[in-house]
Amino acid sequence: MAGNFIYSTRDHKFIIKEWLDVEKILGLKKFRDYYSKEDVDGILDQALTVCREMVAPSNDDGDIIGAKFNGGRVALPPSFHKAYQYVQANGWGSGHKDIDGEGILPGLLYGAVHEYMIAANPAFVAYVGLAGGIAGIIKAFGTREQVDLFTPKMFEGTWGGTMCLTEPGGGSDVGDMLSKAYPTGEPGIYRIRGTKCFITAGDHDLTENIIHLVLARIEGAAPGTKGLSLFIVPKIWVNPDGSLGEANDVATVGIEDKMGLKGSATAVLSFGEENQCRGILLGSPPDENGFGQGMAQMFKMINGARVDTGHCALAVAAVAYHNALQYAKERVQGRRITEPKGQRVPIVEHEDVRRMLLTQKAVLEAGRAMVFKAYYYLDLIAFSEDPDEVKEASRRLEVITPLIKAYCSDQAWELIALAIQVYGGYGYTEEYPVARQARDSKIYSIWEGTNYIQSMDLVGRKWRLENGAVFKEWLEEIGFFLEKHKGHETLAREFAILAEAFAAYQGLVKLVVRYFMDDIRLVPLYSTRILKATAELYCGYLLLDQALAAEAKLNQGPEDEVFYRGKIHTAQFYLRNIVPEVIATAKLIQEADTSALEMPLEAF
Amino acid sequence: MNIVVLIKQTFDTEAKIQLTGDGKVNDQGVNLIMNPYDEFAVEEAIRIKEAKGGEVTIVSLGGDKAQEAVRQALAMGADKAVLVNDPALEGADHYVVAKVLAKVLEGMEYDLILTGWVAIDDQSSQVPGRLAEVLGLPQANVVTKLEVEDGKVVCHREGDGSVEVLEVPLPAVVTAQKGLNEPRYPSLKGIMQAKKKELKKVSLGDLGLPAEEAKAKVVGYQLPEARQAGKVVEGEPAETVSQLIEFLTKEAKVI
Ligand SMILES: Cc1cc2nc3c(=O)[nH]c(=O)nc-3n(C[C@H](O)[C@H](O)[C@H](O)COP(=O)(O)OP(=O)(O)OC[C@H]3O[C@@H](n4cnc5c(N)ncnc54)[C@H](O)[C@@H]3O)c2cc1C
Repeated sequence: MAGNFIYSTRDHKFIIKEWLDVEKILGLKKFRDYYSKEDVDGILDQALTVCREMVAPSNDDGDIIGAKFNGGRVALPPSFHKAYQYVQANGWGSGHKDIDGEGILPGLLYGAVHEYMIAANPAFVAYVGLAGGIAGIIKAFGTREQVDLFTPKMFEGTWGGTMCLTEPGGGSDVGDMLSKAYPTGEPGIYRIRGTKCFITAGDHDLTENIIHLVLARIEGAAPGTKGLSLFIVPKIWVNPDGSLGEANDVATVGIEDKMGLKGSATAVLSFGEENQCRGILLGSPPDENGFGQGMAQMFKMINGARVDTGHCALAVAAVAYHNALQYAKERVQGRRITEPKGQRVPIVEHEDVRRMLLTQKAVLEAGRAMVFKAYYYLDLIAFSEDPDEVKEASRRLEVITPLIKAYCSDQAWELIALAIQVYGGYGYTEEYPVARQARDSKIYSIWEGTNYIQSMDLVGRKWRLENGAVFKEWLEEIGFFLEKHKGHETLAREFAILAEAFAAYQGLVKLVVRYFMDDIRLVPLYSTRILKATAELYCGYLLLDQALAAEAKLNQGPEDEVFYRGKIHTAQFYLRNIVPEVIATAKLIQEADTSALEMPLEAF
Repeated sequence: MNIVVLIKQTFDTEAKIQLTGDGKVNDQGVNLIMNPYDEFAVEEAIRIKEAKGGEVTIVSLGGDKAQEAVRQALAMGADKAVLVNDPALEGADHYVVAKVLAKVLEGMEYDLILTGWVAIDDQSSQVPGRLAEVLGLPQANVVTKLEVEDGKVVCHREGDGSVEVLEVPLPAVVTAQKGLNEPRYPSLKGIMQAKKKELKKVSLGDLGLPAEEAKAKVVGYQLPEARQAGKVVEGEPAETVSQLIEFLTKEAKVI
């Protein structure tokens, strides 16, 4: 009951076929011979069916039974096994992360498939995503032998994968980690010692082996993140002929009892308790300054995982929205404010319920617009043959990655709160899915770098890349858009609001750049709010651009009129109700308020 | 062993049926699917093919959109398809449909014809029987288990607490019931391969058939009356009980 997977493919079809330039992506050499625009509907529809019928049934088991730790091993419910086998065997799984894979879907399409899978069971997707994602890192940085030995089995899902950064003493500050690697007689092989915690999919019984990617410091390397190296550490050693050898001294100490995502095993792993744990160095050993390659390599994974985290948050919140909408149409309570003696009406007729529902729809579609922009850029980066195109896509992606991660995950929590509110008291019970969605979604603002870390990535790093050139180009895209549609008639009010927000935001940037010099403490005080305003500005632009696409469709004929009108209303709502927050934030930051710092600790 | 599977595209089981102003079923924005009972037939055909070899051909009669259902069957693993699509077939009744399908089958080689026992939209269950009659073939209906043997099929039909087992010589028409199997969902590879499979579209002219008058015509559709809101009897318990009894005896006439 509680799972209740309700979803739609319509917005994805709009984004892929009617908004972004899918022909450009499908025209890339990698995809040209495999896919055409006509295939999009069929693939998305089938993917949704598969996720509904094969993956969603595992959602209740994930939450109610969860991952179980017993005798040093982790077991997952049988329905997870069934879904995992099915997804991997039928071409919907980890293999799409293999850039050399034959017939893989472009990210733009697989992104939609992935969203349905997350929505169907958010605790399940990490097992699929990590296997392919980790293999992708090994492929990018490994030797021919390493790639051949590990990646095929991971792309087909026979072996799982993990990313092991976090330690009890090294969370947000990864550089403080204590895990160590000691050279052995064998070149490239190190003895690994250390404890990693919070490792997603760190142990489970879906696959016969798990390939951990472990960050550790080689003896004598530099302190901080610069000195870290990355190691392939199989749970069970893999012999040179590909057969499985002995257990590799990786012990599962336990798994966390969590607020949500209970079907996703979050493990504490102890490497080298018996001093027998062997790791294979990825790339080169630290240079003469003691600088390793580990953090840069891991960041290839982390950047993708940040987009993915935003997408996960969005998908979970979207299921909550679809459920709240259905409930609001059925629940009869109260009368219209204009007809106090009239018939009782479904709550969807009430103004405030409408506001809550449209807030959800608007922010979800805004987030989805950003996420699919990212997939579009990622496809170009991976597969375009035009270096200028690749460069531009990479620069854009740099800026929007922290926006996607933090805005989508912060908003998901608030949107799900609205979904619960729509249900009233019933939303607070576990009989309906929204309470679970709230529990499941909270993690997304925390892992892959907390949202504060994202905000500092934006303000402290992305703003300053190449002396601000990258960020300036990104801002100019919005400026050009405003310029191009100056004097637009039907959406004049929305364009005016966006223009005002754009001007206010530029003022905000100038001011904050000054704060860097005058009182740098103001920057972290305001950074999360700056990130939010940045995302709201960008989302306002994207939704308005979508409204233009919808308007064009309406001008072509009555087909699917309700949907396109809905897109325009959604954009209007977002521009009129949310984008003005950019202007308010810009004003608020001028206050340069430091009360949170001035207050003595004892007064808290 | 060559198998022909007849499929029909229908409304989604969850679709809300609405009528247009002139009393027709409104198909705007309605999700269309392959008739679920036909899915059992397609699955069974593919399983027989996988076990014994041969070819599975999908035959369907419908409009442009019916292609989607046909492609789905191809994506599941059928080998090729014929779609009869002709504006003159709008309003065709079961008599006409059976005749047209029989004509399509005339030019084909097959050992077995499989289809669903009923289509969930009109629920008439007429086409398979009529088709068997036109083709002069034996027929087994509402089958939940099917075994192919030499020159015959063994069909299980479930009755009330009993199973009827029929032996039917081939070629034959067999209709599938829920329980026959669990239909697969197309794999991504299946979907992509389906694009390259032959899907022949034919008109009545191509079949050499004249447009034929339907024997039954639909005059109009009506939705069932909307459920009335319940009655709430308010007041003191003693009063409400007698009111309720009066209501049950006089108005609702249930006691
Ligand atoms: C369910 C789950 C799954 C996870 N999966 C993985 C995984 O697969 N692999 C992995 O390596 N890790 C994983 N993690 C770990 C996760 O990435 C960390 O929890 C996260 O990075 C935060 O680290 P921390 O928990 O140590 O919090 P801390 O770093 O202690 O942070 C606590 C708070 O302080 C703030 N803070 C910290 N430093 C600063 C600063 N300098 N300035 C201002 N504020 C600061 C943070 O923003 C946060 O609000 C997972 C965690 C969970 C809960």
